[in-house]
Amino acid sequence: MAEGTTEEASPRATLIGVRWLKPDTTGIFEGSYSLLHCSVKNDALYRGVFAVRMFPVTYPDGFISLGYTDTDEKLREIGVIENLWEFPPEQQALVRASLDRHYHEPAIRRVYGVKLRYGQLFFDVETERGRESFILPWRGDRAEDFGERGKLLLDVFDNRYVIPDVQQLSPADRSRFTKYVYW
Amino acid sequence: MNSSDAYVVFGKIPNSVRGAATAHGLTDRECLFSAKADLTLDGSVRETWLIVTATSAIAIGSEFQVPAPEPGAEAVVRGGGVTGPFPLKDVDRFRVFHTVGSAFLQFRIGGLYVDVVCFSNSLVDVFDRVRAQLERLHQGRELQPEALTKPRELICPTCGLPLPGRKAQCPKCQGGHGAFFRALRLMIPYRAFLALLLVAMLMRVALSLLPPYLTKILVNNVIIAKTHVEWLKWIVLALVGAAAGQMVLNVFIGLANAKVGNRITRDLRDMLQDKLVGLGVDYYDQNPTGALVSRVLWDVDYFGSFVDQVAQGFLMNVMTVIGIGVVLFTENWQLALWVMLPIPLVLIGTPIFWKYVYPRYFPVWDSQSKASQLLSGILSGIRLVKSFGQENRERKRFQGSSAYMQQARVGLAYSFAVFNPVMGFIFGLGGLIIWLVGGMMVVKAELDMGTLMLFFGYVAMFYGPISSLTSFSNWLTGFVAAGHRVFELLDSTTTLQEDPHPVRMPELGGAIEFRNVTFGYDPHHPVLKNVSFKVNPGQFLGVVGKSGCGKTTIVNLICRFYDVQEGEVLIDDVDVRKIAREDLHNHVGLVLQEPFLFRAAVRDNIAYGQPDAVPRQVIEAAKAANAHDFIARMPGAYDRKLGERGAGLSGGERQRVTLARALIREPKILILDEATSSVDTESEQEIQTALALLRKGRTSVVVAHRLSTLKNADYILVVDDGAIVESGSHEELMQLKKLYYKLVRIQTELTRLELD
Repeated sequence: MAEGTTEEASPRATLIGVRWLKPDTTGIFEGSYSLLHCSVKNDALYRGVFAVRMFPVTYPDGFISLGYTDTDEKLREIGVIENLWEFPPEQQALVRASLDRHYHEPAIRRVYGVKLRYGQLFFDVETERGRESFILPWRGDRAEDFGERGKLLLDVFDNRYVIPDVQQLSPADRSRFTKYVYW
Repeated sequence: MNSSDAYVVFGKIPNSVRGAATAHGLTDRECLFSAKADLTLDGSVRETWLIVTATSAIAIGSEFQVPAPEPGAEAVVRGGGVTGPFPLKDVDRFRVFHTVGSAFLQFRIGGLYVDVVCFSNSLVDVFDRVRAQLERLHQGRELQPEALTKPRELICPTCGLPLPGRKAQCPKCQGGHGAFFRALRLMIPYRAFLALLLVAMLMRVALSLLPPYLTKILVNNVIIAKTHVEWLKWIVLALVGAAAGQMVLNVFIGLANAKVGNRITRDLRDMLQDKLVGLGVDYYDQNPTGALVSRVLWDVDYFGSFVDQVAQGFLMNVMTVIGIGVVLFTENWQLALWVMLPIPLVLIGTPIFWKYVYPRYFPVWDSQSKASQLLSGILSGIRLVKSFGQENRERKRFQGSSAYMQQARVGLAYSFAVFNPVMGFIFGLGGLIIWLVGGMMVVKAELDMGTLMLFFGYVAMFYGPISSLTSFSNWLTGFVAAGHRVFELLDSTTTLQEDPHPVRMPELGGAIEFRNVTFGYDPHHPVLKNVSFKVNPGQFLGVVGKSGCGKTTIVNLICRFYDVQEGEVLIDDVDVRKIAREDLHNHVGLVLQEPFLFRAAVRDNIAYGQPDAVPRQVIEAAKAANAHDFIARMPGAYDRKLGERGAGLSGGERQRVTLARALIREPKILILDEATSSVDTESEQEIQTALALLRKGRTSVVVAHRLSTLKNADYILVVDDGAIVESGSHEELMQLKKLYYKLVRIQTELTRLELD
């Protein structure tokens, strides 16, 4: 169980109506068109399900909301998985695959160069998908805090890049980065 | 695929994709348009092509050669390869589904949304267009080639640089120069005055060069040789004259700098203020006001010293250095060369220092701006802080901000603490060199004593200006940082440009029409979706719906605080984008939920939109807004000075003053956006009484939370999730027994519970 969680739903949560999805009442499987499906005991079979993290920074592996699009084109929540590890491995894998599709935030491992041109920062970095470059508007709202020690960078198109821990960058990389992203 | 026959939205189809498409039975002639995505469905970075024909669509990964599927086999493959083909007749909807950092083009087939292609946020606008054309195709309408091929809004068509915002000017192509040269341009209006200043500085430099030369004559001819003793008094008199002349010129130069510097500061503040009030509401959605205030108040100060620094700190020092250099080389070029020895150290050291210290100014400015924002936030919300007992927490937050400021300033000060003594030592070497080399020359009789004294005199003046020139670099680094921020603000573009040939509407009927309006504060997340409605002049329109459904957005679009992305907002059949801004704002009166009042007299607040209003008009507006009675009861009545945000008045009283402010201009369209939702029932009753009379002769748009206020509306729109789901009179909507009926029932029940 993730830190800070409770085994049972609090009375207030029950009152509000958060449905906590548990392995004994919830089945997760792949259906037609490789879409994620979810069946909830005494409820219904939900098709075309997607997973979203409720605490993507502090509890990336817990509190995962499963949702779907209803017939009125509205996004609805089926319920929340508090601890993903409680589910069978193949179901965990399906949820993780759904999360992987939902989050596109390459993590920056190296910062090769940062140049200031025309009021924008031109980044040359290495992420888990290789060396790449992007342009970041040089504004405070484009480099947000990510957790306690990280930074989330939003480029000109709102693409997201994450430095999980700025202190873990090499001194030279950190110096290049903090020269301009000092806040 | 023959891309020349098809509309290629983005990129050029590679042969491998063409081959795979052919293997799936798609021929060149069938392709209507195509688009390149940059991710695969599993999020890997790989090109994937969407190819659309009149009857189907298929997505093909550029690095895959997938054989044609067996008949009857499921075509969808994840993780690259081929997705589809999807017969369009099987699809009933298309959407771009936004995830975090990327998005999917999805087709709804059999009630399920199926991922077709995945792309990064860089391509969201491209696939939004693709989606729109797929819908047209599905509906049997003609494709819009211009919609597929028009240039992308977020990329400069000239240089390809991403733009800072939609319709924003390209910072590269607009020919922006550095802050320094742009500041120089600000001085153009004062060029005659500056030319005079330059002449004065030349004279000042010439006069400053005189004393060491006179000293040489004094030492050689009067003190040592004693051949022209009678020259003593004349030389001393000349020295006094040079000193007095320098004093007069210094006074003139100082006054001139102060005059021009302060004038430039004033001009710049006016320009910034002008810019700030002209920027659209969307600009303030993205930029905190505290940071903007900091730029106007503090950053501009740097420009005040610009003339002084450039004229005295740079130009005059450069002239002095050149003048002295010429004299030294003329007197004794060998010794002069020795004197120049430390100069390379200065020339190398200064740029290195520049590169090192320049970024250290950024956190200093940032910390000042953040401290200003934080303090402003705490003080304006002081009641909230106290009511939650969070004084210690806020104290700690501000301490953290102060510590950051201290850290930033210390970092900068440390740089100078190291640099200045090092430079001082280097300059000190010059004097020692003269003692060593010049002294030896005097001993060997290669140099006379007077020339040695001349060198000492000039070296003292020579290193001084060079030292000042390095200090100039200190100032310049700070100036460039501040200048960058000021010019960035001046260069900011608003997306709400006034039409170059606006339609003047001195009179207005008051008809409002939304025609197929789609709008989102983020264009890819529409808040209003294809909304259409019409209000006739003089009608009372009510707008209801849950929080966040788009009610206030309707108001924002009527006032043209934002522009629609699709469709039109018309007033008297004229698109609001074409109406002269002045006319639009003169005819639309807006009262918001939060009654904002300025720190000024009651009469000034009421007459804010019409400063030339006579007292009679002010009283009539207040009377109409049911505000006159309570204003009259106050000791200062209409001249009563209000505190910050209207402190001294109750919530209901403030709201009635804002209502009077809206009414004084006799707007043909009156908009109330939850204007009575934060006042007590009695105040609401008084405001409603006033409004019932005021609605006559003008179109009223009332966004209300309390549905009882809309019973008399001619027409009520029920908004849900950005769409109008019901419309009609109160009675008609109650008979429908849908969402409006439900909302009324809930409110009735709540009222009953409150009464119980």
